[in-house]
Amino acid sequence: MNPAGIPLKEPSISAAAGDTGQLERALIDASTRVPVLIFYTSAVAWLILGTLFAGFVSFKLHSPDLLSDISFLTWGRVRPAHMNVMVYGWASMAGMGTAIWLMARLCRTVLRYPLLLVAGAGFWNLGVLLGVGGILLGDSTGYQWLEFPSYAAIILFVAYTLVASWAVLMFRFRRGEQIYITQWYLLGAFLWFPWLYAAGQLMLFVVPVQGVLQAAVGWWYANNLLFLWFGAIGLGTAYYMIPKVIGRPVYSYHLATIGFWSYALFSSWTGMQRLVDGPFPAWMVTASIAATILTLIPVATVGLNHHMTMQGYFPLMRYSPTLRFTVFGAMSYTVFSLVGVLISLRSVARYVNFTEASIAYSHLGLYAFFTMVIFGSMYYIVPRLIGREWRYGSLIKLHFWASAYGIGLMTLMLLAGGFLQGSSMENPSLAFSENVETILPYLRGRSLSGILLTASHFIFAYHFGLMLFGLGRKSTVPTFLNPVEAEGAGAH
Amino acid sequence: MKGLAPLFLGIFGTFAFSWVGLTVIPNWQIGHLNPQSDEEGTDIYPMPQSGMVQQGARVYAANGCIYCHSEQVRAEYAGADIERKWGDRRSAPRDYIFERPVFLGKMRMGQDLANIGARAPAEQESPSPGGGGSPAGSPAGAAQSPSPSTAQPKTQAAQPPESAAQQQQPATSPATSPAVAGPSTGIASPSPAAAPAAAASPGAPPSAGPPWPEQTAGLPPMYSAAWHHVHLYSPRSINFDSNMPSYRFLYQARRISDARSSDALQLTGSDAAPEGWEIVPSYDAKCLVAYMMALNQSHPLKDVRSTGAAAAASPAASPSPAPGGQPPK
Repeated sequence: MNPAGIPLKEPSISAAAGDTGQLERALIDASTRVPVLIFYTSAVAWLILGTLFAGFVSFKLHSPDLLSDISFLTWGRVRPAHMNVMVYGWASMAGMGTAIWLMARLCRTVLRYPLLLVAGAGFWNLGVLLGVGGILLGDSTGYQWLEFPSYAAIILFVAYTLVASWAVLMFRFRRGEQIYITQWYLLGAFLWFPWLYAAGQLMLFVVPVQGVLQAAVGWWYANNLLFLWFGAIGLGTAYYMIPKVIGRPVYSYHLATIGFWSYALFSSWTGMQRLVDGPFPAWMVTASIAATILTLIPVATVGLNHHMTMQGYFPLMRYSPTLRFTVFGAMSYTVFSLVGVLISLRSVARYVNFTEASIAYSHLGLYAFFTMVIFGSMYYIVPRLIGREWRYGSLIKLHFWASAYGIGLMTLMLLAGGFLQGSSMENPSLAFSENVETILPYLRGRSLSGILLTASHFIFAYHFGLMLFGLGRKSTVPTFLNPVEAEGAGAH
Repeated sequence: MKGLAPLFLGIFGTFAFSWVGLTVIPNWQIGHLNPQSDEEGTDIYPMPQSGMVQQGARVYAANGCIYCHSEQVRAEYAGADIERKWGDRRSAPRDYIFERPVFLGKMRMGQDLANIGARAPAEQESPSPGGGGSPAGSPAGAAQSPSPSTAQPKTQAAQPPESAAQQQQPATSPATSPAVAGPSTGIASPSPAAAPAAAASPGAPPSAGPPWPEQTAGLPPMYSAAWHHVHLYSPRSINFDSNMPSYRFLYQARRISDARSSDALQLTGSDAAPEGWEIVPSYDAKCLVAYMMALNQSHPLKDVRSTGAAAAASPAASPSPAPGGQPPK
């Protein structure tokens, strides 16, 4: 135990220590090094590109004449480009990187068939590149969340098949009977995604469904991507990182079981609440609203489980970057779900249905929850792959606060602006353009939050770059956020 | 949890449950709708789209219009859409059976477009949705009336300039121009005949009063094809507060060879082309406008109640002499 009470990571391979467990983990980490770093590096590159797109999109909403003469920089193309880069470039690749590392660790076997993963990452990057290029050149399919033209979608699917088949193979080589909670979520994510993606593509492009059902399939896909792919990876990661960093088992396995199955059952039925009052049979929307409310069961069980695990260990968030990001993400999952329930209620949806509030909801899920958990896991995993520690605790702190304030400000701006926009839209005596005037200050506030997030991502990318080039600290002590205090705490 | 089998089964089972429940069953319920017709099999609604309209939908998708504009009217109890005159009845699944992709939309940074075609001045209103019967009438009817048998894009490509663009402009009589539904107040231009005069004064942004939906002096009649082109080219020349981006890349500036093209945009103020030049829409811009002019859910549906009072605002539902319009009963 080091002074701050945080268990140290395993020192780099030293058989002399005689601890076979540590040696084994170090070997596994070493075997995941190349594939996971490929996924992470690509993800960070996409994150930077997506951030630039995001800033452009945000500013153009209140300065519409910015560069609008250029067809591939028109708002309606850059916005889906931003979303797809973030969803398929950043979040999916970073999530897969973390999932691969966790799989190897939890199956307690060195990573086999790394070429499958390397090829998968290559194809995935190619698919995202072609897809984003296609969108910017005017090839978007016009379905939200599935804008990638079919040539890109096929490549993504091939890439995905490689990664998922690797995951199933790894399961065959696993050691030990116990399947840890994280593995349930990861296995679920790896199996749900291909079905989801294939069903979406088939029902929209190959054997297209009629009329409004396309929108239903589209939102079914989008919400399940959010919950069963990103949500599952995010929750699984949190279930690993929180107990690992504080060195304490998960509070309750039973709660985790209830949480997992209720999550799979209820969250997969959400999606139609986004079509509230649209041209659909009312039962579809009502079923999804009910399912959204029922997701409070997994939220409560997962939240309670994490909280009880953390009980008494919250002060460690002052020191451990991983813990700080992960706990922030896990808490955001609760906020995200509560906001989701709130805006799905018919009486509220009437006001927020066609407003920026739904953008706030997506960002809460994809950023405040998922991305923050993934940042946390990267702070844990990357040093174990490279054998160096993060160079500057101060940069990690800056990254955290810029991200946390950025996403907090953005959520507040978009939720408040969305409610006001919606209520002025519901008042037909106000001219429509009053809506736009109502929300403009909030859009400017959102741009401000965009500056914070941009700063945080560039700081992170710089720090990650230092690590990649081997410029991290050579030490066996992890980088703490408040190292002086950490040492001071050990004095007594 | 011990053993993989229950885990696998559960993972597949929950997902299959959702897939069947939210996509397969709805597809069985409303996935095979047919157009409706009256007892004699006429007055068919909706009709398949013409090639030009389909191309316009692709332009709409490519440029991401869906991220700001919805195309659905909520029922009276669910929102103020009908009060805002975005339609006279709620949208129903049958309205969309020929749309692919379907642009229901999730955001209203801009207005709802479900009935934007129905708001056009009567002269060049889109083929009234039930009006497949007599395509011969006006140029608008000829070019846009969806006649499924002869939907070669080539021939239609030759036609649309007349229908979609400014051909009618000189011909529009003062009587028809302010025919836009809604309160026409002070600024309303009496007729487009005043256009040349107003064009001289540098852009007249409506500084006072609610700027939209009102006719701006010196511009083509609201929601006409010519108006859409000006709006796409320079949104803030029509509504100073708009935050819609301009779509200038869909337009070309070219030197006037002999006479001003009938397609040329009627721009005013700083947007106007320099002397000897004109701004004309590209084929994509014409298709986009043709698509918008075809957005029209004003035809009554048997399974949806239209609001009686608002029905008068709908040109197609009322027995007005829409040129391409009502089939003989």
